[in-house]
Amino acid sequence: MIQGIYTCIRTTDPDDAPALHGLYDLQRPRAALLDMRREPIMPTVDELREMLGRKEAVRGAFFTIENRMGEIVGFCGLRSVSAEARFAEATLMMCKESDCAGPEASEALAFLRSRGFNWLRMRKLVAHCLDRETALRDALLRHGFQSEGVQREVFYAAGRWHNLEVLSLFAETAGE
Amino acid sequence: MPFSTETWIRRADREDLDTVIGWMDDPDFQRFLYGDPARSPKQIREQIVSMLGRTAGHTMPGGVYLILDSKRHGPIGLISLQNISWRNRSCNIELYIGNAAARSRITAAIAIYRTLEYCFDELNLHRVGAIIYAFNTASWRIFEKAGAVRELTLRDHIVRDGQTHDMYGYGLLRPEFEALRARYQRQSEDVSLRAMIEYLAREETGAPS
Repeated sequence: MIQGIYTCIRTTDPDDAPALHGLYDLQRPRAALLDMRREPIMPTVDELREMLGRKEAVRGAFFTIENRMGEIVGFCGLRSVSAEARFAEATLMMCKESDCAGPEASEALAFLRSRGFNWLRMRKLVAHCLDRETALRDALLRHGFQSEGVQREVFYAAGRWHNLEVLSLFAETAGE
Repeated sequence: MPFSTETWIRRADREDLDTVIGWMDDPDFQRFLYGDPARSPKQIREQIVSMLGRTAGHTMPGGVYLILDSKRHGPIGLISLQNISWRNRSCNIELYIGNAAARSRITAAIAIYRTLEYCFDELNLHRVGAIIYAFNTASWRIFEKAGAVRELTLRDHIVRDGQTHDMYGYGLLRPEFEALRARYQRQSEDVSLRAMIEYLAREETGAPS
């Protein structure tokens, strides 16, 4: 586990499934929880527990963020790694979305940057935000991510269309 | 003079298997679309079989594969509608003209136009997207002519021949397509799906055009 000033970041365990399940909320959709077709996935707690326990890829690439009191405050990860182009998708999901402005989220993003660029030797990190995820977008921008554009009306939920923004960070820009 | 073409689109069938496999072996296919040159012929065949396999009528497929066919050359290309989301009413489109002798911007543009009509008018989609490599200028220009908006520029996103290249993401919304069709009403009528069906009917009955 990685002990920070505000957080303890560790690989996600099957026991974290109930906390992760709480993030699947159709009224507050998150880009990180959409599938390839930008459709929301609605797994049960048992399915999440099984997935977190079974997939080696998930276990090595998905992390739980705990605060100093040992409470789970969010999840983060690196996924869909393209070995050829050396880029990975970074995801950050704070249980309270407003916490994206806080020090725990900032430490988690610093962890993802370090792990992506120094540990996995990635060249580029990509992140996605729905238009409603403004706190996450601001946090990504503070960490050097830049917009690569917005896909319009790709996802329908809670009675309206949502746009999806793609942001990226290059190793040389990040100074890692 | 009305503009016409002797090409049409139709559902891909098992009988197209060998033709499509031949196209996938083409280095251009691997450069401009996707594909790992190290893949075995067996793996390619299995992929095509799964693509062309008929879906039961009552299911909502995640992908639709169309063949661009012609009177003169026979099958000349493949159009795929992938990642169809019936919830979001969206899909991604790809076009590949495998028969090098039949490659032309006009042929490709007409095929794209008809496919867009199929997406919006028949499948009732709201959005059609396309991901195109920046060096594939001919393709992204056709999408721009069709009214698609370049929404993404993914910098240094793919590797070809040891170099990184940008990738563009395009999106076309239904109202934008309808506006384009209204603006070019006369030309679009000549190349529409309806015109294509009428052409095929005339060919079948031998009626004069």
